[in-house]
Amino acid sequence: MTQPSAGALSTLIEIAENPTGYVTRWKTATGGKAIGAFPMNFPAEIAHAAGVLSVVVQESREPITSGRNLLTEFYCGYTRNLADQAARGRLDVYDGFFLADHCIQLLGAVDVVREEGNRPVYFGQLMASMGDPWTRTAVDGKMLSFREELAEFTGRTIGDADLARSIRLFNENRRLLRSVFDARRAGDATFTSAELQALVKSSMVMDKEEHTALVRRALAEARAARRDGRIRLHLSGHFCHAPRPELLRAIEDCGAIVVDDDLFHGTRYISTDVREDVEPLAALSQWYLDRNVSVPCPTRVQHDVDWDAYLLDSVRASGADGVIVLMAKFCEPHMLYYPELRKALNAAGVPNLLIETEHEGLPLESVRTRVEALLERIRHSQLANA
Amino acid sequence: MSEHFMGVDLGSTTAKAVIIGADAGMVAWRTVQMGAVSREGMRQAVDGALESAELRRADIGRVIGTGYGRRLVPGVDRTFTEITCHARGVAAACPGVRLVIDIGGQDSKAIAVDRDGFVEDFAMNDRCASGTGRFFEVLARALECEVDELAGLARSGSEDLEVSSMCATFAETEIVSLLAQGAEPPDIAASVHRAVAARTLGLVAQVGKRRPIVMTGGVAKNAAAVHALAEALESELIVPPHPQITGAYGAALLALETYEGAPPRRAADLERAEESAAAAFAPQSSPSCADCEVSDSTARSVVLGLPIPVRRP
Repeated sequence: MTQPSAGALSTLIEIAENPTGYVTRWKTATGGKAIGAFPMNFPAEIAHAAGVLSVVVQESREPITSGRNLLTEFYCGYTRNLADQAARGRLDVYDGFFLADHCIQLLGAVDVVREEGNRPVYFGQLMASMGDPWTRTAVDGKMLSFREELAEFTGRTIGDADLARSIRLFNENRRLLRSVFDARRAGDATFTSAELQALVKSSMVMDKEEHTALVRRALAEARAARRDGRIRLHLSGHFCHAPRPELLRAIEDCGAIVVDDDLFHGTRYISTDVREDVEPLAALSQWYLDRNVSVPCPTRVQHDVDWDAYLLDSVRASGADGVIVLMAKFCEPHMLYYPELRKALNAAGVPNLLIETEHEGLPLESVRTRVEALLERIRHSQLANA
Repeated sequence: MSEHFMGVDLGSTTAKAVIIGADAGMVAWRTVQMGAVSREGMRQAVDGALESAELRRADIGRVIGTGYGRRLVPGVDRTFTEITCHARGVAAACPGVRLVIDIGGQDSKAIAVDRDGFVEDFAMNDRCASGTGRFFEVLARALECEVDELAGLARSGSEDLEVSSMCATFAETEIVSLLAQGAEPPDIAASVHRAVAARTLGLVAQVGKRRPIVMTGGVAKNAAAVHALAEALESELIVPPHPQITGAYGAALLALETYEGAPPRRAADLERAEESAAAAFAPQSSPSCADCEVSDSTARSVVLGLPIPVRRP
């Protein structure tokens, strides 16, 4: 599947940039089915156990054209782009689609996917209220329904042994990626922020065993580098789709180094393992509940979990000098939560900056000005306090 | 030690160059309006300022670039963002300033300034030209007048018409619609000025309103815009006489203050420098700088930025 002659990291980056190409090659090579899964919580282990390639559907870089009239302008760029991809047949490589979340904009986009295509689409939203007495039962029921739907989709029984094996493979992949992210927090600068994103994004696309092997190769080929004196930043936000790599590069080009994040295409995706010592389906339910504790998300309601407290703890742990919040325009949960987040950061004296992102372009010079101004502010206070 | 320092602010529509002496007093300045981030405009501004000061480039000890095109300034020793430079320039011109509202050709900013004259927080518009100089260009075109005539037109308007403060393009559509309905151009102009002020309030809210407030940028030369904003903020605004060059002036100050050969600056020097800056930028509108809350003038040593290699050939 991968190109043996290419550097492993380059291959991962290429797959991250062109998921459809990989899925097409995978299907040709294996004769298997591929499903498009929508962010953030679809338990892809079940699909893997059924022999299916589960791919988190990524935002494409194409301008929105045919699908423009399918969702209003006030949907986020990712969902409008999904609708456009569906309208233009760009999602035809997938044999079916699975949704496990409840974002109203995403629901709209997946509804377009259902309308525009002739592939099965399963709406199976996991409940967002994490602390109710009936939450666990409801999540268990949903996990069971995912297994049943995938069994029907593939015509194949998904046994516990298959599922346990898939869970082990996924955990191994997450642990490997987490080791890279942990090293970054501890001062390693081998990979840029954009490269780390490619490691995670390609994991969302590729067969897990193949991905793990390729990441191991990339680590072996990489030249180790230690963090230098650049300003250390934490990137926060972007729950569903990847911020553009050129945005990440621009932030680091301004004289910063990203030392931690809570992005979906980063720490959030790999944050939590599935327990291997309990019944697999129950373990997946617990995984879903644990994820919001590992890295809280404003799309969930959980009274004993707090995103701002998590963020401040992370900043202290990584020694980040400031936080850049990357907010997808019209992402309602993020927009609603952001004032609290900003208040908490300001109260703790953590310099922070909001950058709103859109599908349509990126005003790089304006971004550079704001990031550099943040860095100047941080340097000034560091030197003044030295 | 060199006797002269230069700040070059290459903005979205205007290039500005300021030369100051070792006492921080302004020696010469030049603004040139040309195309977007125009290298030719920048060249003319730099050459014009040098000519006016009767200096050669070699006489300049250090050059700091700022503005959108800051990296395009030839021979620049280092760059700072216009946010830092505006804060520095305005703080020197009006000690005690706590909020700078800078509205330029394509962007607008609210900059909260700390008691030492450095950036405490800031907010700027994204890619939308709403509430910027571009917004007024759109208005002038629709009303078939020059941008310079807008202030007079707006001040003679009496009716309050509803104009979107969302977007320059939407606003143009609304203006056309209002004209078609028979609305009077002065009323439209006045209403658009109020809409811009409302938009700016949103930026100010992001950093928190504080006083004294200084307005800079090309739009600060529009008396009607200043008036509308003062009304919206329920506060007086201080406008320096050359509001377009405070960023370049701040850059020149940073060139002086970060110059490697600069001797440690004693409090007396700093006070003299501030007096010189305040004289160069005596405000046009009340209250005067004398009314500003004056900060501790001894806390002025500049500790911005890490050293970067000198890139001068």
